[in-house]
This record gives sequence, C-alpha cells and structure tokens, in this order.
Amino acid sequence: MWLDDANKTQPPEGSQMTKQITFSLNGRAVSAELDPHRTLLDVLRADHALHGPKYGCGMAQCGACMVLVDGQPARACVMKVARVAKRAVTTLEGLAQPNGTLHPVQQGFVDRQGAQCGYCLNGMVIGAVALLAKNADPDEAEIRHALRDNLCRCGTHQEIIAAVRRAAVIMKETSDV
Amino acid sequence: MSEDFGMLTIFDDGGTGSKPFLQVGADGRVTAFNGHVDLGTGVETALAQIVAEELDVPLDHVTVVLGDTQRTPDQGATIASETIQIAAVPLRIAAAQARHYLLGMAARRLNAPPDRVATADGKVIWREDHVPYGALVAGHDVTLRLDRSIAPKDPKDYRIVGTSVPRSDLPAKVRGDFSYIHDLVVDEMLHGHVVRPPYAGRDSGDFIGRSLLHVDEDSVAGMDGLIGIVRKNDFLGVVAQRADQAAEIAKALNVEWACPPVGPDLSDMAQALKDYPATPRVLDTTGDFASGLAGCTTTMERTYVWPYHAHGSIGPSCAVADWNDGKPTVWSGTQNPHMLAEDLAMLMQIAAEDIDVRRLQAAGCYGRNCADDVCGDALLLSRAVGRPVRVQLTRAQETLWEPKGGAQMMEVSGGIGRDGDIGAYAMDSWYPCNRGPNLALLLTGRISPEPQQADMGDRTVIPPYRIPNKRITVHDIAPMVRSAWMRGVSALPHTFAHESFVDELAHAAGEDPVAFRLRHLDDPRTRDLVRRTAEEGDWTPQSGPRLRREGRMAYGRGFAYATYVHGTFPGKAAAAAAWVCDVTVDTQTGEVTLTRVLVGQDQGLVINPDGVRAQIHGNVIQTASRALVEEVRFDTITPLPQSWATYPIQTFDEVPAIRTMLIERPGDPALGVGESAAVPAAAAIANAIFDATGVRLRDAPFTPEKMRIGLAAVGGLAALPGGMRAPHRPAKRRIAATVAALGSALTLAAVALPTARAIPAQPAPPASSFSDALIAQGAEVFAAGDCAVCHTASDGVPNAGGRGMQTPFGTVYTTNLTPDPETGLGNWSFQAFDRAMRRGISRDGHNLYPAFPYTSFAKIMPDDMFALYAYLQTLPAVSAPTPASQMIAPVNLRPVNAVWNAMFLDTAPFAPDPAQSDAWNRGKYLVEGAGHCSACHTPRNALGAERTGTAALAGAEVDGWFAPALAGAEPAMRGWDEQRYYDYLRQGHAPDIASASGPMAEVVHSLQGVADSDVQAMATYLATLADPTVAAVPVVPPAATVPDATSRLFRTACASCHEPGLSDTLTAAQVPLGRSAAIRAPSRQALTTVIMNGIDAPLDLPLRDMPGFGGELSAQQIESLTDFLRERYAPDLPAWSAR
Repeated sequence: MWLDDANKTQPPEGSQMTKQITFSLNGRAVSAELDPHRTLLDVLRADHALHGPKYGCGMAQCGACMVLVDGQPARACVMKVARVAKRAVTTLEGLAQPNGTLHPVQQGFVDRQGAQCGYCLNGMVIGAVALLAKNADPDEAEIRHALRDNLCRCGTHQEIIAAVRRAAVIMKETSDV
Repeated sequence: MSEDFGMLTIFDDGGTGSKPFLQVGADGRVTAFNGHVDLGTGVETALAQIVAEELDVPLDHVTVVLGDTQRTPDQGATIASETIQIAAVPLRIAAAQARHYLLGMAARRLNAPPDRVATADGKVIWREDHVPYGALVAGHDVTLRLDRSIAPKDPKDYRIVGTSVPRSDLPAKVRGDFSYIHDLVVDEMLHGHVVRPPYAGRDSGDFIGRSLLHVDEDSVAGMDGLIGIVRKNDFLGVVAQRADQAAEIAKALNVEWACPPVGPDLSDMAQALKDYPATPRVLDTTGDFASGLAGCTTTMERTYVWPYHAHGSIGPSCAVADWNDGKPTVWSGTQNPHMLAEDLAMLMQIAAEDIDVRRLQAAGCYGRNCADDVCGDALLLSRAVGRPVRVQLTRAQETLWEPKGGAQMMEVSGGIGRDGDIGAYAMDSWYPCNRGPNLALLLTGRISPEPQQADMGDRTVIPPYRIPNKRITVHDIAPMVRSAWMRGVSALPHTFAHESFVDELAHAAGEDPVAFRLRHLDDPRTRDLVRRTAEEGDWTPQSGPRLRREGRMAYGRGFAYATYVHGTFPGKAAAAAAWVCDVTVDTQTGEVTLTRVLVGQDQGLVINPDGVRAQIHGNVIQTASRALVEEVRFDTITPLPQSWATYPIQTFDEVPAIRTMLIERPGDPALGVGESAAVPAAAAIANAIFDATGVRLRDAPFTPEKMRIGLAAVGGLAALPGGMRAPHRPAKRRIAATVAALGSALTLAAVALPTARAIPAQPAPPASSFSDALIAQGAEVFAAGDCAVCHTASDGVPNAGGRGMQTPFGTVYTTNLTPDPETGLGNWSFQAFDRAMRRGISRDGHNLYPAFPYTSFAKIMPDDMFALYAYLQTLPAVSAPTPASQMIAPVNLRPVNAVWNAMFLDTAPFAPDPAQSDAWNRGKYLVEGAGHCSACHTPRNALGAERTGTAALAGAEVDGWFAPALAGAEPAMRGWDEQRYYDYLRQGHAPDIASASGPMAEVVHSLQGVADSDVQAMATYLATLADPTVAAVPVVPPAATVPDATSRLFRTACASCHEPGLSDTLTAAQVPLGRSAAIRAPSRQALTTVIMNGIDAPLDLPLRDMPGFGGELSAQQIESLTDFLRERYAPDLPAWSAR
C-alpha cells in the first residue's frame, strides 16, 4: 500500500528568524527580509533567478558557485547571505555590458571554446576575471595556479587556459583604444 | 505568394511509434530530431552541421531537438560514442531526402531539369532564378517516410562538415542565460529533498527496500515551509516550499533504519573479484592456447587491477517532475530518455507513452550517474503532493549513490614463440557491473534486489594483434556495489592490460615496443595510425627502459594504442587512438607527473575538428586523472567518498600539455570519438613509468605510495632530503587515561564542612524599578562577561541556559538567567545573586560547579554587580528548567565543592595598581573580573582550579577548543600588541595573526555590547602580559611533506580556502595555517574539533565560516589530517602523540 499521501501542513507565517539584508546585485540595490544563514548561492539562485552560479559541492571544493563580492572572488556556497550586506555582488550575469557586449573574459571563452558541458564555466570565468584584475598578463603557470581550485570534470583545461590568455589580449586591446 | 503554414516532415517508425527525424518549415527553418542527448560534448552542434550540410542551409537555420520522448525517435541510450557514428545516420539521410524532395519541387516550379538545379543557402537555384525552401514548403503539409535508399552528398563537396564550427550553446552558457536542468523553474514548483538509506551504493541483497523502520514525523512538525513527508518502503523524501527548507527538514527528520549487513570486503580487489560468483563466457578460442603457450620460449603471467571510479559529474543530479494527474512530464538530465520513461512507467504503474520525458542539458556525464534516479525521486514526490517537484541531490548523495565505474581484474598469460612473435595469449576478465537499475525502483521495492549480471564486461577484450593461439574469457559478474558503465566501459581496463602486457612482451623480446606492435598488426589503417603517431610523438626506438635521470627526477616516454570496440559482442569499432606520452617521476616522493601527451586518432570523416580535439583533450585529462589518482574506497558497508575531499581529481596545476593529430579520412564513415582517446591512457602512462624507472605498475591508480614501493623494490627510491619525514602512520589508539585519581583530596574532606544555607525565595524587583542608566550599565557588564555565550544552548532560547559544559569531571549545564520565577532568577534577591556570583553558592544553598567562573566574578565591583542583576531582570522570562548535571564521583557530591571553595576561591575585591594607568587598571578589572578570560585561557590543576603563577593565562584546552596563551613569551612571539588585541576583540580578527572561532567568536560577538573605551582598556592590559623581551617570530614556512592520501585530502578539501590559487578569495581563511593556534596547540583536540564541526561564526563580525567534515571523514582520516597539518605547518614543534 502506498504511504505517500503527504501530511499536508500550512507553512507558518514569519516564524523564522529573518533580517533585512541589503546589498548591490549586478549594479542594482536589492533588499529583502531573509534568513541570514541562507547561503548566498541559494539566495542568488532561488530568490533572484540568477542561475550563472551553480551548486556543485556546497563545501568550497569545486568553484562552480563563484561570484565576485566587492570585486573579490568568493565561493557563494559557503558564504552566508548576511555576509554580503552592504557589499556589491557581481555574478556571471552581471559581467556583460548593458548593451549585451560580452566581458572580455566571456569573449575569450567563446573565442577559445572554453567549455564542454559548461557547468564549471561560471567559476572559471569569475576566477579568470579575478585573476586578470590583479595580473593583466598572466603566463600559463600563473593561470594554472589561479584556477587550481576550480574543478572541471570534462577535461577542458587546455581550452580554458587558452581562453584566459585570449581574454588578457582582448582586455589589453580594449584598454589601448 | 507566401503563406505561414506548411511543413515538410521526414519520419520513420520506431519502437515507440512514428517519430519525425526532420522538419522544414514555411519559414525555411529546419528542425532535426535525434533520440540521443548532448552530454556536454557539443554533439548538438555536430548534428546541426550534418543537417545543414546535407540540406544546404545556413547552419543557424537548423535547430536540433535531442532526447525528448514525445518528440524524438527512440535511438537507445547515449552510450558507446554512438551518436555520430550510428544515431546521426538516419538524420543525415532524412536531410538528404528533404533536399532531394525540395529540389524536385523547385525544378517543376521553375520548369528546370532536376539534375541541373543546385541548392545553396536554403534555396534551390536555377540559372538566375532561385526559390527558398520555405516558399516550396509553404501552404502544404507533406509527410514522407524515411527512404534509406537516398544517396547522401559526396563528402568531397562538404563545406560545413569538416570545419570547426563554434558550439551553438556556448554564448548562452557564458552569459549565464543557458537553462540546465538545474536551472529549470516551472509554475507552482515545490522542492523535494530525499533521505537515503544507510546502505549507500548497494543495490543487491534482501535488505534493499526493507530497512526503513520508523519515521518520526513529529520531529519536523511545524518547520518552516514543510509541505509533506513521503514514504514508500525505503524511499523517503520531504517536500517544502523552498529548497533550503526541504534540506533543513530532511536533516531534522528523525528516522530509524535497520543496520545494513556488511558488504563484500573490497580491501583486496583482486581477491574480492575472484571470490564473487561469476559466469564464464569464452569469446575467442583461436588456435590452441595451451599448445601455443607450450611452444613459446618466453612466457609470462600477469594480473592487472583497475579500481572503482566515480563519474564525478561536477553538478549533482537534478530533476523536475509534474505528476499531472497520471500523464506526467519529467524534465531530466538523463543519458537515456526512452529507457528512463520505461523505468518511470514501471515505478508508477502507468504506460510509458503517457510519460513525457524532456531532456535538458546537465553537468557533463560520462556514464550512468544519478540523473535517472533523481527523476524517480521527483516523480514520487510530485504524485504525493499534487504539484511539480524539483529535487536537487546533494554532493554527498550523488557521490555515495552514483553507480560507480566498475573495478576490474585482468589475468593475462602468454608468450613469445621461437619466431619472435606472440605465440599465445589468454585473458580472463572480471567486470562487476550491470546497467544500474533505477534507484527508485529498488528503494520502493518495485523490482527485486537480486544481483543481476550484465554483458558489458567484454568491450575490447580481444587483443588487436595477430596471435595464432588465444583463449579469451569474460567472467560475467553482478555488481559488488552499485556499478554501471563509465567512459571506456570495460575496454579501458582491458586495454590497460593488453597494452601493458604487449609492452612487457616486447621488453622480454628485447624489441622496440612500437616496432613489436607493428609486426603484429595487419590492418593498414591501424598500422598507419600507430606509425604516424609514433613519428609525430618523436618516438625513438628502444629495446628496454631507458631510465633517463636528472638528479632525483626520472623521465620516460610510453606508447599505447587501441581500437575501441563497443556494443554487444563482437561489437563495432569506434575511432582508433594511439598515445605517446611523457612522464616525470620524482624518485624521492614517488609522484608521477604526466607532462606531455600526443594523441593520434583515426575517426574516419571528421565532422567538427575542434569538437573532436575537445573530446580528445577531455579523454586525456579525465583518464589520466583516473589512472594517476582516482580510486573509490569502501568501508564495510558503503563507499567512503562523499565529496571531492576523499575523491581527488586532477587539477589545473597537474594536467598535461596535449597535442592531437587527427588522421583525416573524409571518404570513410564518421566514427565515434567520445571515448576512444581515453582507452589507451592507463597503459601508455604505465609504459612511460616503466621507461623512466624500470618499475612496472599493474595496479591503478599509480599513486606516489605505489610508486615508492615499486622504486624501493628496484633500488631506485631516492633518500628523502633532510627535514622531510615519511607520512605519519596512525598509531594504535590508546585508551585515554581516566581522571580517577583526581578527587582523592576532595573525598577526605568532603563531608567535613557544613554546606551553605538557602536564601529564601523572594520576588525580584520589577524591571521597571531600575533606572535606564543602571540597566545600560548592566548590559555592558553582561556583554563583557559574555554571559549569553554559555547561558544559551545551541539552537536554544537566549539566556535560558541548558548548554552542556564538558569538564574533566563530567557535564554540567548552565542555568536560566531570565527572570522566570520557577526556573530562572525571578525569585532571587540581589543578596542571593551576589552570593552566587562571588561564592558559587546557589540560592537554595547548593554549591555551583566552578565551570561557572565565580572565582573571576568575585572581582566584580558592587555597583557593576547590582547593575548586572538589574539588567537580568529586564530579560524576557522563559520557563526552562536546568538539566541535571552528570558529574563523576566524588565531584557529584556537592559538599565537595565547598571544600574546593575553601582551597581556591579568593574573595578579595579587585585592587587597582596605582603605578599603572587608569586604562590599564580598567582593562585588568574587565579581564580578571567580568571578562573571566582566565576561565578558558588558564590551565587548571587536577582539581579543576585555575593554576597560578607562570601558568596563569598560559593557554588551555577548553570544551574541545584551545584558548592560547595570553601571558608570557608566546603571545609576544605571535606578534600580539595593543592594536592587534583591540582589532581582535572588536571585530574578531587581527590581520595575519588570528581569527576568532568557536567559543571565542561568540565572546567577541558578546563584546559588541561593550564600550569602545573598555575594549581598548582590555587591549591595553592584555598587551602588557606578553613578555616584552621576546620579539615577534615570522610565520614558519610550510614544511615539505611526502605525498599520500592525506596530503591529497588536504589539497582537495582544505587548500581551496587555506592556500587558495586566488589569494584574495573572500571566503578563504584569513589567517595562514602557520599561525593557527589549533595547529600549534599542545594536543590535537582543538584542531580535531574545528575539522569536525567547522566554523559557524557570528554574522555581525567580519569573520568567515568553514564547513565541517565530521559527517564525511572518518576518525582515522581526521587524525591523519591533524598529523599532516602539524607536520607541515608547525614543523618546529614535535608531532602529537597518538590518541
């Protein structure tokens, strides 16, 4: 016999500890009453429909969830949303210009086909943006070091390294104009 | 004339009815349908190229629909690299047929001879005239059955096929716009979270589906978002409004399971496989093996062992299901939509035709992961709650339950005849895998959990060489743990054995391994591939290992080749691939680095060269990782890995440089490339290791541990440099000494002293009777005393007590500080409160345990004490009785505490030092009084009293944590000064020195309520405790360590935050491990605590959190990790003694 007739219960209203949390998200201020312990990743995906950051491990091991917080790389799966209060969060969706022009790193990944399944792509792009912000012309060893905590199971590493190098070239060209 | 309706459809009948392969619309757009799916390889783009080519339409006019059961033909599972080689064939014919039909129509319309018109860019062209396809289709619906006699285009006319077209899905993916299965949101969607049984990764045995004993639904009643709990046999799941709520509810749900029986002992894989029931299947008996072997001059027998592997998709599986009153839609990342529909039909007892499985891309999948399982989960939950339900598996659920890539054992024997050729060759192979029955079917008891054998252990089992006498036997064997196909299936281990053994034979014959192979190959295409790959890879002929050395590093080059034969025996050949690879072996540490790989590959016609190269790169990197580092290990019941922590894969800093050489054969059919380059990997690496060191590894993965053993056996292991120690081996556990002797002094005097009298219950003055200023002052004392930290239970009501304090003498629970008359301080007079605070005597006269630091509070000045009393009376009253303490004898005799007080309690008031500043004195008062810093930072004597003299504030272990020294040389060496103390006490963090964690983080949180001047005063005083004659010592650089499983665990589980490649990572640790007080503590306890529980720091402090590993790592793994951390980051300190 099936025992799967659920015991339906009504969710109690406002019974959990919530807090008003305000932060900048891809350049726009957002503010909501939230359980401050929720992960930033969960809030971005569930409340803001920003699906660029991905759930991969929940333990900061793989990098699929990476975002930029005040320009610094962060693993959104281990960051509680309260910790971004009054900070600026940038996700993969926030990298391109408003007119749709891709960020040089995104363009580098398109140019060098830096993805197979692309599930890790978010972290690779965010990691590369963070790297290039500090080191505009990394060599291959520096790229490998910077991305060593980002896992890719398809084995796209070679294309990704080429994509980051390409991004560095595009950024240089853009800044020379 | 233009009309917007009309469609040309090419269809065919299949197993599940008539399905279209191709449609051309009145807008000229083409839709191609294929029953396979894109597993992340970009095959969707390649299929579009094939269609665009045959139809002569621009590539961007083609849309490819993959894997929807209601829309695409059933072409079987997307396995064995078949999509291009097999599944695309009818699509190509359909496109050719559509072109042929449109061309005929246009010729009639243009009154042109059909053999003279041309097609290009989606138009039929006749002289200066042309008609777009859309116009030809408009106004009519034409349906044609697939005509397999239509001749497709001559490959020499190809313009799109054979070019490197960029992937169509990448622009959306790079913007974050692409909808993976994980990203799908449907209306009314709820979120499910499954609770799996404790027999993770097991799929046979009569306990499967029969182990769930009890679910305590009350344990989660009233939790936020709860919609329902769903149970059927061992299937258990909860549904909630939000995913995070579902996860919380599943975690809180109290469930009782039967303890699963132990599984097969997999510690000796070869023996385990030999011992398991198997059915031999003899596949090749060419010649006479026995007499052939008898005629050989050189013979050898070898056993090759392959480990269990995890698919390790980067995204754990996810699905959305909508029961839809019995006509369900299931959105899935499945590898095999039609097979899934059949499984779900059986699960729900409905017809497969009534199930609409819609396939969305998922994280890369290299075989059978949990993508199908999670669809069963979602559908069961959706039916129960009557709304669409999304289920996202956790990393642990995916890793524990995914059908593993099977272990495998190959026994090979053979020899070289008098003519120098291979004279005989026998292989016996065991591959314990099946097709991975859907987990929901097993858990609900819908299918029998009998062990099931399958026939996939025969892939590429026949050696590719000309051998006159063979005996090839596959031993079909049911899974020992849940296992199914993974990239290269059984062919990859088989080739590891074939291509290692052939190398061994060549070496025995004193012949170059490539020349030796060529002598035994007849097929000209294969010979061409082997020869050209060797040439391109700078292969130099050799007759034995070259043992090239530079210092401690050994260098070698290896070769291996395979034609991947897949499908039901005798199977079909996919692309053939050959490897030339270079390795470096560190002869001190045993680390093998794959530095360079060249892959030559013959795949016939190349559809998309960059796509093929990407597949080769992926195969090389993934399989090198499998051969060098990957292995799933098991405890007695389940697989051990739950995340990447104990299942490392190769990372950017380790992957090789790869070159490819595609042998173009445009006149030959396109062959599958999804796996071929993987197949020779392990043998090529093993052969290169042999060339470098003379060590032959036959047991993958080729870890540094195995390499060191191999090197030692051939006398090639270099000595470790000074200071580098071999990894610590966990010693046998010693039973911790008990504290039996501690109380002898106490017992003697225990009953000799009178106990204190009770102070009558008397209602405390109402909160309104105290002035605001007094209450504010009390709040500061309360904050300085961190009272809330200990007087709040974890997840308990603030200040209502109930937190268990672990002491060497047992557990004592903190009391309720709220003004509740029965259980709190509501009936306490100030006199009673003051006595308790200063003398540790409760209102009723019983002695409080000195875990309550009244020895410090005795120094609180009377006005502060009264203010604190007043403040406590303003707290919201909460009824919360204090749990009885559990103390060991004789400490459980309360009078004993009276003796203790006589020995250790100093009731003298705080005495300022006139020679010091006011700030210093204020700081000392706060530190020694309300702040009671010594309660944690001063070690205690055998009677639990704080030690004095140089031991005061000298650092102590408390409640599983370590409170470091505040006085003497140590804080000076660590660089503490007034500013750093201030930063630390104010915000929990002193840059580069320390971050507060555990109870100290809560203390800093509490100090938020203390005035800045008081925090400054504490810093002023604390800074003077450090020995001024001692200088700060720079952080000790990490010591080199010998690589082993623990160093790999650190690398995957810890390094992303503790030694991040991106040093400014905001979620990374703020303090280098060389400064960690826990690592520099006298015992491993504090470090163990933090590894187990992680760090959950107060959210109002600029601190960072850390995930805990207690649920994942075994006690032994954690102990090894603590040893590793001590050895590496505190090399100046002695190793910890074993527990």
